[in-house]
Amino acid sequence: MAGKLGILVSSDKHLDYVIHLTEAAHDKGKDVEIFFTGKGVLLTQSSEFQKLVGKAKLSLCENSFRALGLEGDVPGLGFKDFATQAKNAEIIKTSDRYVVF
Amino acid sequence: MGKVAVLINDTEQQYEGLRSSLGMLLYNAEVQMFVINKEIDNMDEAYRDNMEFLDEMEGERYSNNTANVAKYGFKYASVEEMGEMLRQADLVIPF
Amino acid sequence: MKILHILRTEPDETVKDFIKTSTNGDQAKTAELYNSDIDWSSVVEDIFSYDKVISWW
Repeated sequence: MAGKLGILVSSDKHLDYVIHLTEAAHDKGKDVEIFFTGKGVLLTQSSEFQKLVGKAKLSLCENSFRALGLEGDVPGLGFKDFATQAKNAEIIKTSDRYVVF
Repeated sequence: MGKVAVLINDTEQQYEGLRSSLGMLLYNAEVQMFVINKEIDNMDEAYRDNMEFLDEMEGERYSNNTANVAKYGFKYASVEEMGEMLRQADLVIPF
Repeated sequence: MKILHILRTEPDETVKDFIKTSTNGDQAKTAELYNSDIDWSSVVEDIFSYDKVISWW
């Protein structure tokens, strides 16, 4: 059962859901792509965030990241993964299913 | 991408939902933004500019809060009417 | 159409109303993520087998 799952994370309340769903989808051979925006970018500061690396393609809204006073590297993200809202639109367009946390 | 409904319930997410709506409009989606129950909490210059940009991009914005309708030009829609529009949307994104 | 409603938290009256009106006769299932012992593998299967997925608050 191939397919791509897109995940938008706009809340800082459900990192456990994001990790569980990503791991389950990854185990089923799904491609997973996650975009963090708004308060969701705060989750990048959790030690648990590392669990997503290697199981999903990760990017975030740089505007939100800076606005919330964050700086520095994030595990699993390169320079170009600090992106704009257009990235979220691209994920929607390229995903077979899309969920929001 | 088709028709996208952006549903905003939390005052802290009002600006974030608007920015995301614009991102999708720029990607040629048809976007309907719904602000539920609450009045726009912070109608600052950034929110107003982005809201006007959404209008220029032919995005639609609805609210069941009458202050949003009277003060900020949202179209009124009841929860029931919004629910029917959600049925017609290809994608629903709650913020 | 088959709709999967994903609930992150217990639904309030507004969410219950939305689920009712946005489903309106369609086949629907809810995945209550706030409950313990969630079978995440089944959640993934449902996400891909239902026509439409809505992730409520």
